[in-house]
Amino acid sequence: MKKAIEIHQLSVNYDKTSALWDINVSIPEGSLVGIIGPNGAGKSTLLKALLGFVKPLTGKATFFGLPFQKVKSRIAYVPQKGKIDWEFPITVFDVVLMGRYPKLKGLKWYRKADKEAAWKMLARLEMESLADRQISELSGGQQQRLFIARALLQEGDILLLDEPFSAIDQATEELLIKLLKELKGQGKTILVVHHDLKTAESYFDQALLLNTSLVAYGECKTVLTSDNLARAYGKKGELLEEATRLSTAEKAGLLS
Amino acid sequence: MCLSSSLMGTLMFVRKRSLLGETISHATYPGIVLSGFLGAFLGKLSLLSTLFLFLGGATLFAYFGLEIIEKIRNRLRIHFDAALCLILSLSLGIGVVFASRMQFISPLWYQQTQTFLYGQAATMNDAHVLIYGILSLFVFLFIVLRYREIELSLFDRAYGKGLGVPLLKVYRFIFLFLILSIVVGIRSVGVVLMAGMLIAPAAAARSFTDRLAVLLPLSAFLGIVSGFGGNYLSVLFSERGYHLPTGPMILLFAAIITFFSLIFAPKKGIVSRLIRMNRFRRRCQSENILKTLWKGGKKTSLSHQEILKWNALGPLRLKGALFKLQREGWVTKEGKGKVILTSDGLKKAEHLVRLHRLWELYLVSCLKADEERVHYSAEEMEHILTPNLETRLSELLNNPTIDPHQKPIPRGNEP
Repeated sequence: MKKAIEIHQLSVNYDKTSALWDINVSIPEGSLVGIIGPNGAGKSTLLKALLGFVKPLTGKATFFGLPFQKVKSRIAYVPQKGKIDWEFPITVFDVVLMGRYPKLKGLKWYRKADKEAAWKMLARLEMESLADRQISELSGGQQQRLFIARALLQEGDILLLDEPFSAIDQATEELLIKLLKELKGQGKTILVVHHDLKTAESYFDQALLLNTSLVAYGECKTVLTSDNLARAYGKKGELLEEATRLSTAEKAGLLS
Repeated sequence: MCLSSSLMGTLMFVRKRSLLGETISHATYPGIVLSGFLGAFLGKLSLLSTLFLFLGGATLFAYFGLEIIEKIRNRLRIHFDAALCLILSLSLGIGVVFASRMQFISPLWYQQTQTFLYGQAATMNDAHVLIYGILSLFVFLFIVLRYREIELSLFDRAYGKGLGVPLLKVYRFIFLFLILSIVVGIRSVGVVLMAGMLIAPAAAARSFTDRLAVLLPLSAFLGIVSGFGGNYLSVLFSERGYHLPTGPMILLFAAIITFFSLIFAPKKGIVSRLIRMNRFRRRCQSENILKTLWKGGKKTSLSHQEILKWNALGPLRLKGALFKLQREGWVTKEGKGKVILTSDGLKKAEHLVRLHRLWELYLVSCLKADEERVHYSAEEMEHILTPNLETRLSELLNNPTIDPHQKPIPRGNEP
């Protein structure tokens, strides 16, 4: 099986503190991987480093053997829901269409083919009736489905999702998992930053247990053992969080 | 001028950064005053050179303003709006102080700088129009040619980054054109009022659409209309002998358009919403009357007083509601001053009761609510549940027949 994602000695720092340390992973094509770890473990940072949003201290990541810039059209990203301005004048249909951006040419106005593809995607996620709604008029689950629809429209081979299962309803969660499993069946490689330990084993085949450094990677059963979980979620991480906070505050001259 | 300022203003508007536009416009004033000093120092200059001198000074200081704002934000950890207000007032203050000195040094140049404070469109000449026209054209072209990138970088920068949109370049250009449109505008409407031309067209247009792609051309249109309208009114009044400066007239025109949009726009205007709210309230009242008639006994007619016992309405309103219900075919008159449900009204009332009891059952069995409390929620929900929600409720609860209070749930209509 080809290696979809290879991460080699990846280390990322925020200021002088380590967010990720010496990550070495090889993820095969067609995997559905859950990235698990406590808060501040660097899960989102890992995705951001993969996408080139943050510059790593050392190390690199390749996709199908190539650097990010050469394959970026094959990678789709669903960011965390938090930072969106829901009052922005944009409708559901407009947002889904954004996924077609890599395919647009010239003035980049949407063509018939683009609009039809967007419709089909909305139908697949059971959202056609919502097409003309301004985004603030959606429920939490619908909002998440929207951003996933947009990413899926890119038809990438690698899908990176940042906490897609937080703050959504049961029905949407089930729909999402079904969708992800379908995509995995089609050979896509999917990485999901996930916050809920309990559901991890049923949702994903593989788990990547993270706490600044790699704790374990592999089949869920072998990775999510009590030993490993203690190492990842144990009290040792708390110290780092406290120290990091102090460090930032000192440097900003906020402590006397 | 109106075109470019309303376009760039809309971009700021959707990012909720309109105060930034105002701050930049105020920041240009010290630049203009200093340009005035420079001009006085240099002596006689051609019309074109004078223009470029002022434009240069304004643009330079606009950039200074932006840089200072960024520095303050990053180093001093002051809230963004506070930093903006600081720079805003500081710039104007500094400018005014310098300008007052210039009054004695060179009254001629002083006059020139003052025209930028409140604008003096009347003294603009062809050179002005040409240059401003070209600048506006650039703004227009930028938005049309790069619309997708602009949309992405303003709405969802993280996703845009993932797609490879050159965010930094887009932001630089947006700020460049913002400054350009402000510099173009201050000669006509003035430093103090410029922000209005950035905000008003966008705010007015927002009441008519939910899509950026429509918002931009609409606000551009409204901006241009304000431009023409303001000019026209200014000329009109001056013929009657009142001298009203063009700049503020344009702004007033824009403000009036905005005011009317906020109030009268078809879907989002206040009037429209009030009408719809009222309609909903009346519908609820009518539906409650139908329920009362159903509960009173389906074959029994009720008098007005009897209905009023169960519904909080005035007697006059009741008469009106009953008249409407009768006209629509849900009730008929029977006997002296009594009304009874028609067969259609019977079905409608039963449907309402069904929705009410389904909702109560949902709250109690699925959300573990208290039996005593669910009634009020159901009173509200029975008017709101759509057929789609009704079907889903019924399926979720396995097509129930009894509600939490052991009362029967009427059957729904077969599909």
